[in-house]
Amino acid sequence: MPIDHKRINGPEESVPYELFARLSGITSEKTFEETQSANIRTDGRKFDEQRKIFLKNGVVSQAKGSAYMEMGQTKVMVSVFDPREIPNRSDYSLKGEIYCEFKFAPFSCPKRRLHQQDNEEKQYSSIMKKALESTVCLHELPNFQVDIYALVLHNDGSALSAAINAAGVALAEAGVPIYDIVASVTVGVQQGINFLDPTLSEEQMCQTQLTTEKFPNPNHAVVIISKLPMQQQLCQFHQTGYMSLDQLKSALELLTKTCETIVPLVQKCLLSLVTNSIKP
Amino acid sequence: MSRKKELLSKVGLRLDGRRADELRRIRCKLGVFTQPDGSAYIEQGLTKVLAAVYGPHQVRSKQKAQHDTCIINTQFSMAVFSTNERKKRPRGDRKSTELSMHLQQALLAVIKTELYPWSQIDVYVEVLHADGGIYPACVNAATLAIIDAGIPIKEYVCACTASLGNNDVPMLDVSHQEEVIGGPTLTVAALPMSGKIVLMEMSQRFHLDHLPKVLDKALEGCKDIKAILDEAVKKHIQDIGSSTGWANTTS
Amino acid sequence: MSLCDAEKTFILHGVKENFRVDGRDREGYRPIELETNIVQHAFGSARLRLANTDVLVAVKLEIDVPFPERPFEGKLEFFVDCSANATPDFEGRGGETLAAELANILTSAYRSPQTFNLKKLCILKGRKCWKICVDILILECGGNLFDAVSLAVKAALHNSQIPLIKSINIDGDNIELNVSDSVFDCEKLDVANAPVMVTVCKIGDQCIVDPSLAEEQCSVGSVVVAISQEYFSTVTSIGKGSLHPRTMCNSLELGQKVGIRLNKAFMETLHNIQPDEDVGFLK
Repeated sequence: MPIDHKRINGPEESVPYELFARLSGITSEKTFEETQSANIRTDGRKFDEQRKIFLKNGVVSQAKGSAYMEMGQTKVMVSVFDPREIPNRSDYSLKGEIYCEFKFAPFSCPKRRLHQQDNEEKQYSSIMKKALESTVCLHELPNFQVDIYALVLHNDGSALSAAINAAGVALAEAGVPIYDIVASVTVGVQQGINFLDPTLSEEQMCQTQLTTEKFPNPNHAVVIISKLPMQQQLCQFHQTGYMSLDQLKSALELLTKTCETIVPLVQKCLLSLVTNSIKP
Repeated sequence: MSRKKELLSKVGLRLDGRRADELRRIRCKLGVFTQPDGSAYIEQGLTKVLAAVYGPHQVRSKQKAQHDTCIINTQFSMAVFSTNERKKRPRGDRKSTELSMHLQQALLAVIKTELYPWSQIDVYVEVLHADGGIYPACVNAATLAIIDAGIPIKEYVCACTASLGNNDVPMLDVSHQEEVIGGPTLTVAALPMSGKIVLMEMSQRFHLDHLPKVLDKALEGCKDIKAILDEAVKKHIQDIGSSTGWANTTS
Repeated sequence: MSLCDAEKTFILHGVKENFRVDGRDREGYRPIELETNIVQHAFGSARLRLANTDVLVAVKLEIDVPFPERPFEGKLEFFVDCSANATPDFEGRGGETLAAELANILTSAYRSPQTFNLKKLCILKGRKCWKICVDILILECGGNLFDAVSLAVKAALHNSQIPLIKSINIDGDNIELNVSDSVFDCEKLDVANAPVMVTVCKIGDQCIVDPSLAEEQCSVGSVVVAISQEYFSTVTSIGKGSLHPRTMCNSLELGQKVGIRLNKAFMETLHNIQPDEDVGFLK
């Protein structure tokens, strides 16, 4: 990891205090047990219920297009800049390119993040790029590159989904030619239960393997998909964990159904964008 | 702490059991990969090097193109697992850049660049296991790869290291252990048939009076290596030419 | 590699009739050659050749401090280096995007404790653990890089030997580990559940497995599936292009079927491997 000379970081051995608080007994296992016994999630939702979404465009005045999205407590801001010539390239290319940068703000996660992108953020950037590449009409932007920057202000689960949704709206506002709006949803799976739109603690719970005597089902995973709703195309699919085919199929069904619910929100947002720009 | 080991024992044996003027075992193969135009693999003792040659092809950046010669582009890279201690970066550090330049220097002396104006030849060398004498192994591998690619060269360029043991006896083909102990190392890249020296480099030090005999030893080593490489090339031609029958004309 | 339209149509028709350019059917693999123990001073190594895709993997061990939030677990890190031998585009930093993608997919695939048990790498809770550094060197690229890399990694991990720790001396903050001197005093890693990746490409209306370079250019959408004992350890869509959800399900089914078959054959080969005199690249 390159050393950051511009900022005064804490000592390297320092560790967030929550680690010691955890020793008092709140573990992933306990959270899951409670959820399973009450048959309702810790924040009161049903298993296939999404959190409240807030979506607003035009939040960054300097950017050509921008959007701010809240999914429950997760807050993400995305800005899209004017297409510019692909830097560091001397030959002419018939198709344009997208440059995506996904970053967690240092204060957004329980453990402080560094200012440089680490491997996880680089992976999320490439997933986001994959999702948006299918929707942007790259052949209409020869030799140009569109820059998309996503910043997560508060990570409470499903940050990448929120970023991709907001990026779709920002692209539309920026006037970049796109085929369709992008809808993205995350689901966490643990013990055969699909947790739609998981919070951060639920995401972490779905990434761990619970002890197998009490919980015999080995399925645990986090799945994130992005869909172009009108075209009925999955432009991006990412699963990590340990899942059987049937579990994966049921998660996929739930996700594709949920993507449709995001469409009216995005449409309303874009409609207000157009009407506001027409009004004197 | 182990006591300081001598490079040459009283019986005349070195640390790995060789005599002073013995080369390590060399095994090599041409045409290891199908994608590059030419490729070769060489093992000198435990040092293992892969070389790949692409070209001649169009120059990638138009500013560098030259109207009367071909550009030789080399890259030296060491695998992360090639040394005892795991390396952090395979290339891009100063040592790799320096060795790339030395390799380019050695190859420019033999490749007939005037035959390919406006073109570029890429030579990539990858060290899989570093056990002393990596530069000579790279030069030898690059020579074989260039021959495999069918690029005309004036003659073989071979490289060898030599050292001085017990302040008196010149030794051939230095291994990593001998380098680390502190023996002086003279690296020579030469054209064995014409006796010309392309590159000479030295680390540590010894008295100037010893230089002629160490240099002679190294040049002798280059001649021996050339003979080994030549045999390998002839065998390779026989292998690939036997299907069409033209190998039988070379006796 | 650039293909003209006629070549692409030819490949498309071949896939439709279940008879690809090199004579395989849609689920056939090209011949695979595997050799282990190539890099002598690494703890484990393997070289895998899938037609003309060549991958060399070496496993090195280090003693490290575990993460504070996971004190019982060791570490597993992947480092991928695309050598310029494969194509001149990989010169300098050209191969970094591909290398990062490979490393990320491998990390996702090995994340679950079901696939690889990191608890076995713990030496002293919270203080010392083994860190396995898996270094992958791509020597030649002939299509289907993900499969070749995952198989080579599995073989290298199978070939690795972890030295046993004879004793630990704890003196306040100083910890001294006494590693066994004998070469034969070591334990092997359990790779039965290590994931095997399968790349499924959609060409035309059908899905194929193990695409060659030309076929990769023709695909409209590709999915990389990592299978570990019938379960999916990671699924990622790669390349440009999108898929219909039904096609996605079909690809997943195909990937699982092929992955299970490939894994079975691979494990059999691994168990039957005889330590031969080193041949390496000389053959």
